[in-house]
Amino acid sequence: MQYEKEQVLKIYTEMLHTRLMEKKLTEIYAQGIVPGHIHSGMGQEGSYIGVLSTRKPGDYFKFGHRPLSVYHIVGEPMDNFFGELLAKRTGNALGHGGTNHLGRLQDGVVGFSGTLGADAGIAVGAGLTISMEGRDNVSYYFYGDGTASRGPVHEAMCLASSWKLPVLFVCENNGFAISTPVTYSSAVKNPGGDRAAGYNMPSVVVDGTDILAVYEGASKMVDYIRAGNGPALIECKDYRWRGHFEGDQCAYRDPEVTQHEMETRDCVALLEERMKAQGWITDEELQKMREDFDREMDESIARAQEAEEIKPEEIYDCLFA
Amino acid sequence: MKVTYAKAIGDALKEEMRRDSKILLFGEDVAEFGNIFGITRGMLEEFGPTRIRNTPIAETAMVGAAIGSAVTGLRPVLELMYSDFTLVAFSEIFHCVAKWRYMHGPDYKVPLVIRNASGSANGAGSEHSNCVESLFMHSPGLTIVTPSCAYDAKGLLKAAIRSDNPVLFCEPKLLYQVKQEIPDDVYESDYVIPLGVADVKREGTDVTLIAVGLMVPRALEAAEKLAAEGISVEVIDPRTIAPLDTETIYKSIRKTNRVAIVEESNKTAGIGAEYAARFQEELYDDLDGPVVRIAALDVPLNYNIKMEHYTIPDVEDICKAIRSMM
Repeated sequence: MQYEKEQVLKIYTEMLHTRLMEKKLTEIYAQGIVPGHIHSGMGQEGSYIGVLSTRKPGDYFKFGHRPLSVYHIVGEPMDNFFGELLAKRTGNALGHGGTNHLGRLQDGVVGFSGTLGADAGIAVGAGLTISMEGRDNVSYYFYGDGTASRGPVHEAMCLASSWKLPVLFVCENNGFAISTPVTYSSAVKNPGGDRAAGYNMPSVVVDGTDILAVYEGASKMVDYIRAGNGPALIECKDYRWRGHFEGDQCAYRDPEVTQHEMETRDCVALLEERMKAQGWITDEELQKMREDFDREMDESIARAQEAEEIKPEEIYDCLFA
Repeated sequence: MKVTYAKAIGDALKEEMRRDSKILLFGEDVAEFGNIFGITRGMLEEFGPTRIRNTPIAETAMVGAAIGSAVTGLRPVLELMYSDFTLVAFSEIFHCVAKWRYMHGPDYKVPLVIRNASGSANGAGSEHSNCVESLFMHSPGLTIVTPSCAYDAKGLLKAAIRSDNPVLFCEPKLLYQVKQEIPDDVYESDYVIPLGVADVKREGTDVTLIAVGLMVPRALEAAEKLAAEGISVEVIDPRTIAPLDTETIYKSIRKTNRVAIVEESNKTAGIGAEYAARFQEELYDDLDGPVVRIAALDVPLNYNIKMEHYTIPDVEDICKAIRSMM
């Protein structure tokens, strides 16, 4: 596939922002200012941003519990994002939801369930709305190799294919469900791709650390869906750099393998090399991009720390519409 | 006209779907088959296959699809067939339906209705005869409705469909074929019964009897018998099981100073258990005696019809319990 500089720069920028934000999350967690857990998505940015590079206005999104930064990428202002993470009134859910419930409806985010997989049907429901309204949009359902085992995911695939709904199932296979390797939990090599045929869905399996390969695979599936053919699936294989949550020492896996993965399959570094080889970007420009985004995040986090929390007498306010 | 409870439900669905094109109905066997009780017959022909949809047997996905379509602008009515099958998707209802707005913020609305055919049906057995209201009363954010007659069923279902909040709508199976005389002009008047408002079905002065669903006609029959014995029973149907209309109910209890709750489901941790706890906490000084629960025995519902009937309160069980309070 031939690429223009502007297109690749846009993809790269979103991936870089995701990386920097995922790193920032680990830092603010270490500072002790995040009330809940942080599940960093470092190393997995290519899978998400590669797929998301096929999005257009009117699409819907159900993300995973990492990387969280994609909520900002699809539109949530940093102040709402960090406000919610720090459980403040400025958060998208007034601090009721936290790490699992970021994002805004106006950006197409349909929400997330901490009972992983329970929300697969919700993405299907968003696809139902698209279908009823006759639009050519897509409902993206991101799930992990661990969630791939859950019944509600299979029921959702069954319903989406029965009703031929515009849903892209995105299995992000990072190799581990907390400590359980996918080679143990799944009898098939590809817990997403190998099962798609059971629901008559086309599928592709790609290297999630090669973001342009992800984009190309996702484009094929998204074109198929937007043409009105029903659901499809993409499986992106990457590697979870950090533990399941911050503080997880990863005693269940070989640190040398992790080190090797980080050195050889860094999605951000791999695209940087390609862009530099094309003469599309310089080290100085990269440095400035990083510094600008980092500063923007620090300023927003400072505002979130200063922001108010809701008051006890407001605790029931959002329960009913 | 004489209207069955089942017809009232079907008419409410049709009238609402004619009024608002955002409403769609899906569930197992609701299309060509017209639902296993015949309630949705003719709707596929009138509204077409995009608005009346059969589903595979995939309850978690069905509940999810209701949430997802509701959040993004539709007004789905989901049918889960037997109430027992709501438990197949308990997590999705408890965590997602009930909490979605609270967890994600005030921009999210979840205007959906989950209909389910509830309670016993003469030998339907242990997994097709349950009432689930009390199980879901533990989910803040969920409105639970159980109508006891055709008139209420129609008005409450319309209110549930028009609500911007999720409603679990329980339809006692043994009421489906019960007929009620309703004047034509009233039945056809597009009336709506607001959620959260109890109805005093019979006025009385000695005992307040809170009756739910199938137990309402039995409570009224018991009240008639007891009146002949000189006991005046006020029968109240909460209609919305949760959140509870405490205003109407507390007014009655403050008048009678005695209260019993009758329900079709098991006694332990049932609707009556929760109501009784609340009444004694909040109205202790107004009560002349213990709050009494009249409920099914704590045993799975029998396939043997005699045993099933023995398990669930009948008119005589209610009379006996009320007499013991005097």
